[in-house]
Amino acid sequence: MTKSEFLLQLKNELKKNNISDTDDILSEYEQHFAFKCADGFSEEEIAAKLGDPAELASQFTPNTSQKKYYGRKTVTVIGMVFADLFAGAFFLIFFIFAAVMGVVTIAAAVIGICLLAGYNFNNLIPGMPYLCALIYAVSLLAFAILSAAACLYFIVFTRQLMRSYKRFHINVIAGSAGKATLPSLPVYPLLSARVKRRMRMIVLSSLTVFAVSLVVGYIISTIMAGNLEFWHVWGWFAK
Amino acid sequence: MNTQYKKGVLELCVMSILKRRDCYGYEISENLSKHIDIADGTVYPILRKLKSDGLVTTYLSEDSGGPPRKYYSLTALGLETYEADKKEYLSFAKTVETLLEDEDHDKK
Repeated sequence: MTKSEFLLQLKNELKKNNISDTDDILSEYEQHFAFKCADGFSEEEIAAKLGDPAELASQFTPNTSQKKYYGRKTVTVIGMVFADLFAGAFFLIFFIFAAVMGVVTIAAAVIGICLLAGYNFNNLIPGMPYLCALIYAVSLLAFAILSAAACLYFIVFTRQLMRSYKRFHINVIAGSAGKATLPSLPVYPLLSARVKRRMRMIVLSSLTVFAVSLVVGYIISTIMAGNLEFWHVWGWFAK
Repeated sequence: MNTQYKKGVLELCVMSILKRRDCYGYEISENLSKHIDIADGTVYPILRKLKSDGLVTTYLSEDSGGPPRKYYSLTALGLETYEADKKEYLSFAKTVETLLEDEDHDKK
């Protein structure tokens, strides 16, 4: 008897004996075949050693507690639908937030590069001496790096959160049907120590550069304009 | 040997294996068939019965790298039942042994 013949016969015999959850039982025998095959036995040998499918099927007593599980499972599935909708709304907000952070990052980077290059399309960027523009450009580029790092981490975090939620979802439903469950996944992304260190270094240095150049930019601007509210001197908000 | 009788004893053997550590089905089957002459497939109905009686639970583990394996683990109730059944079985086996030996002596 080959593996598929054995499994088919067992399946039919189990059905004859009114045994529920045949898939669960069959997968156990399938695994047995897989292990034995790995040890170098032929399918015929393994099937012969397993015993007569009819005899085996008769040893499975009908599971009377299945009905209890069934009722519980329906309630659980309905509950999970609501949980999924609720969680789905959160994930959507998370994705939108990530997109906004991405756009902010790109905008900061583009303005920074324009300032650096002295390129001012349609006079969209307020006028200022090039020295100030240079300092603000550094500040904006540092901010872009900071925001990109935050955006990236947020995306990784959201992905892990979704994975964790998916595992939770599967486990709850499997548990309500009396099936085996997998261990739950952590909510926070598991980054290696090296990645964490690098991330921290990038965030701290870009934050420092951003803050310092912003303050320095303000000081130099006030000195060059001769006024604490330098934007009025340069007519930033004049129509 | 009577299958029904054998089944009860095999349940005890399976629980004794699981008391040592959690195993997946195939491990238990291999372990048992090393010592006792039974069809390899007999273990799975026993595991299922133990599970539906609440004596063992199952969980999946991905540690081995391949597809998740279903592990069986003895519950608190299982452990309690095991200890009680073991005591009962050992005293029963002893009684049977003495009885059979006495009969041997009488013959001589």
